Amino acid sequence: MALFMMRSTVRIDRLTTIGGYIAGFALLFLIWHLAAVYLVKSTLFPPPMPVLERGWMLIEDGILQEQIIASLRRIAQGFLLGSAIGIPVGLAIGSFKPVRWLLEPWTEFFRFIPAVAMITVSVIWFGIGEESKVFLIAYTTIFVVIISTAAGVGAVGRDKIRAAQCLGANRWQVFGLVALPATVPYILTGMRLAMSNAFVTIVAAELIASNDGLGKMLWDARLFMQIEDIFVALVALGLLGFATDRSFRFLIRAFAGRFNATV
Amino acid sequence: MGFVTQGADVALVSLQGVGKTFSGRTGAWEAVRDFSLDMAEGEFFCLLGTSGCGKTTVLNMVAGFEAPTAGRILLDGAPVERPGADRGVVFQGHDSLYDWLTALDNIGFGLRLRGMGKAERRAKAEHFLRMVGLTGQGAKHPSELSGGMKQRIQIARALANDPRMLLMDEPFGALDAMTRAVLQGELSRIWAETKKTVLFITHDIEEACALATRIGVMRRGPGGTLKAIVPVDLPFPRERTSDEFMRVFREVHGLIHDEIHGAH
Ligand SMILES: Nc1ncnc2c1ncn2[C@@H]1O[C@H](COP(=O)(O)OP(=O)(O)OP(=O)(O)O)[C@@H](O)[C@H]1O
Ligand SMILES: [Mg+2]
Repeated sequence: MALFMMRSTVRIDRLTTIGGYIAGFALLFLIWHLAAVYLVKSTLFPPPMPVLERGWMLIEDGILQEQIIASLRRIAQGFLLGSAIGIPVGLAIGSFKPVRWLLEPWTEFFRFIPAVAMITVSVIWFGIGEESKVFLIAYTTIFVVIISTAAGVGAVGRDKIRAAQCLGANRWQVFGLVALPATVPYILTGMRLAMSNAFVTIVAAELIASNDGLGKMLWDARLFMQIEDIFVALVALGLLGFATDRSFRFLIRAFAGRFNATV
Repeated sequence: MGFVTQGADVALVSLQGVGKTFSGRTGAWEAVRDFSLDMAEGEFFCLLGTSGCGKTTVLNMVAGFEAPTAGRILLDGAPVERPGADRGVVFQGHDSLYDWLTALDNIGFGLRLRGMGKAERRAKAEHFLRMVGLTGQGAKHPSELSGGMKQRIQIARALANDPRMLLMDEPFGALDAMTRAVLQGELSRIWAETKKTVLFITHDIEEACALATRIGVMRRGPGGTLKAIVPVDLPFPRERTSDEFMRVFREVHGLIHDEIHGAH
């Protein structure tokens, strides 16, 4: 009985959350509408309806999906590449002092050079093809993931490690069976942060050097003064980012919720 | 109750003139000085002392977490150099449990390290889960357990690994009085069942009198050391209101009182 009540409370919580999101977005669009129609009254700031209509048209023509998929594919590739490098490096920095001494200057150096500043170099090195964008996303992902992974390793409780040692664990077992699982929530949090950086980076990169993607769509729309297209791209970015971040949070909860009641 | 109260046999653990000086930003601090103790196999030794007198420091050295800066510690005649599966530790807090594992998998952790198969490991873990009175709670994660339950899991985890001795650092210190009394009773029963050698740290005189075959009272630091050893030759289970119990309690209380009195 108690269990049933808890379950249904969780479901009601979830419904409330979703209801809240819908109401929040509705309010946002309402304010946008009011601001555009009654306040700004300019063709440079279209109200939501024409923008949504234009968006629907672009979807029917298959154009919007194409741009979205182009951008998301780059994000996914760079993000996975960056995480695949960042996680082991972060683990090594957190676990071994010499590696920390050696690599910390690197991370501390590069994390202050934003990916946006690397666009020009990246275009010179890789051209305006896929490689330059994937490189930039990987770049923006790596350092965030490294830093939060290394911090996670450092935060593993001393008693957890000692307990394993006096149960007979060797160095590798301490690493693989204690330090690593204890660090998972930190890794996932780092990846979540990196994901939002990736959205910033991909738009900037596509604005400057690309043949497709949402950033390119923004750029073209500006050139041809298609103001509705600009807003379609902006709304698409916001919604995509929101959806991605929610899914990430959902994953973190699913995988790491039991690690810590406060996640 | 076949236990040995004095070091008639060859000692299982022998601390010989052990000292520990910490050197840090605030200079050197001699936490423990000239600490000598022989513990016989099967005895339940309570180390009793006021806060900061060096109890944890002694336990950490026996566990092999920290090295003495003077003297030596022998286990079965061989010097202690690092932590090992022969000394199971129950920690003061419960941060040592693995949040990502179920209670049962926490208990079976040491067995897994040794490569024991899943079925056998599970059966053994269930056995120790039952021993600490948590039958049916094995699927829960530490975040779903109360403080007392977590300490039970810690004890079961240490026991499942079948160590030569148990080192317990104020394991019940953070529990309410009722839970503490229940767990003391169960620990006493488990000790009689398993015949483990126990080094048990506490600052609770009654707890020491209820559990120990010998009580070591520590002098407060700097240079904390053993001040007196009081043998407790009372049968188990201990009757806490008996005259005999009160006599031991008063004796230990007198020793501790001097310590507290000296502090202020
Ligand atoms: N790593 C350390 N560095 C410096 N000093 C330390 C360190 N660990 C302990 N000490 C000091 O050694 C003394 C003894 O500490 P210890 O933790 O052994 O006390 P305790 O008897 O376990 O106290 P409590 O009952 O409060 O747990 C204290 O004065 C403490 O400040
Ligand atoms: Mg202590």
